[in-house]
Amino acid sequence: MVETHPVGVEGCTTVRVVVVGGGAAGIGAQGGAKATAPDAEVVLFTEYEDVGYSPCGIPFVHGKEIERFEDLFLQDKRFYEDAGFDIRYSTPVEGIDTSRQELEVAGVGTVPYDRLVLGTGWNYQDPGIPGSDLQGLHYVKNIRRAMEFDKVLDEAKVAVVVDASPIGLEMATAFAHRGLETHFVDPGAWVLSDVADPDIMEPVEESLRELGVHLHLQTPVERFVGDGRVTGVLTSEGELPADVVVVATHKTPNNELAEAAGIKTGSTGGLIVDDGMATSAENVWAAGDCVEIPHGVTSVPINGLSGSHAYSQGKVAGVNAAGGSRAYQAVQVPWGMVGGTWTIGGVSFGETLATALGVPHLVGMSDGISKARYYPGWAVIRVKLLVDPDTRTLVGGQMAGVEGIKERADFLAMAMRARIPIEDIAWMENVYSPPIGALNEPMALAAQNLLSKL
Amino acid sequence: MSFFRWLRRNAEHYLLEAAQIDMAKKYRDGSGPVLAPARGALFWRRIFVPVYRLLPWSVRRAIMRAMPGSHRRSWERRQPG
Repeated sequence: MVETHPVGVEGCTTVRVVVVGGGAAGIGAQGGAKATAPDAEVVLFTEYEDVGYSPCGIPFVHGKEIERFEDLFLQDKRFYEDAGFDIRYSTPVEGIDTSRQELEVAGVGTVPYDRLVLGTGWNYQDPGIPGSDLQGLHYVKNIRRAMEFDKVLDEAKVAVVVDASPIGLEMATAFAHRGLETHFVDPGAWVLSDVADPDIMEPVEESLRELGVHLHLQTPVERFVGDGRVTGVLTSEGELPADVVVVATHKTPNNELAEAAGIKTGSTGGLIVDDGMATSAENVWAAGDCVEIPHGVTSVPINGLSGSHAYSQGKVAGVNAAGGSRAYQAVQVPWGMVGGTWTIGGVSFGETLATALGVPHLVGMSDGISKARYYPGWAVIRVKLLVDPDTRTLVGGQMAGVEGIKERADFLAMAMRARIPIEDIAWMENVYSPPIGALNEPMALAAQNLLSKL
Repeated sequence: MSFFRWLRRNAEHYLLEAAQIDMAKKYRDGSGPVLAPARGALFWRRIFVPVYRLLPWSVRRAIMRAMPGSHRRSWERRQPG
């Protein structure tokens, strides 16, 4: 039972910070708050059995690259206890009253707070097709469910992954690694078509086919098939029987609680926050996939970023909730992932998204190499950069290769934040060492290609 | 769903769909995504997308920035910490 002694009550001076959600944002917030105000009472409520693990690692356990799910936990529960973190597991928060500064907590009752941090995360978008309520449809999110699902995979022979989203691509790759007959279904014309460009995805699709994945592109799913339990997927091409079906629809912010409390959301459905992660409600902060953050190029808010973004935002929210002062910044969104045997990544906009929004841009391309051409094992690194022809600064970029993509995406994000002109990237200094880097840096080659068009 | 969320969801969906068709023509065999039938799709595909594309970037950006959201709160107040 949580004791109630809010600030302002005579004889009590302890600040109580309550965090809702035990994902990256929640854990970051609790750590930030404790570091800022060690004497503060910081309580975290989570509806789940665990906190502090990496859900992003789940596909790689299914794919057998990582041996055990237990390896995904950053710390065990004892660590948090010893560090003085008060975490209430399997304890869902059911209501927020921002005027009384109280929460309604299942099995506990009314819990007051002085400062509240929301890290309620995300849900999968409803597939919106018949059969979505069938048993056995799997959504990758919770580690306990993933452990159960992994046992089902031991007996499975055929898997269908619905929607070529980032998590869908990781799961299709994982199933191929595991030796399952894998069908990857999406209405788009190429894999990851909402995020990445077709020329960037071309080698990824080729490698998926080489791994044995059956790509069903330009193929909408019409319904899930089964009598109580899913046994297949009906697509526009016909029925695909399946032992397991993974649904990988887009992420949508989980803000039911906050919206019911009258906290304002923006056009993404994410909570509106300022650079201190403060929401529209007094003494309420928020972080992670439940908020929206301005984009560094357009200022248009976006939602559904990475775990590293959520953790950083959580830190900022926790520090400020505990009385400190820290600011977050508009995001350039560096990203990267493995698809098939390739790594893809980028920053901000690709050509497809820039075209969709109508952001003015010119495109520069290069097919560079990862090592000296005479060194064994070199591979192509394809770089595409987009530049604003007026300001001559980057508006985005995408890459495909087998190594060195993450570092280049991080570099480009910093280049964008610092508004480095394209000339400086074209003629940048770069490491040359035959086993690790070629004479010509692929990003510089793409920038030189761009300069020829300006 | 709020009006602005509805507006953004539809605008994004159909602008992205049109861009994917352009990209398929540029980089693939020309066949884009399967266009799902939906209520109001004709308006978004035949009127909204072409009109949006005719607007200058400064106007498009002004419209996007006029929407409610985090960008309209303070994002330059303090140094990052």
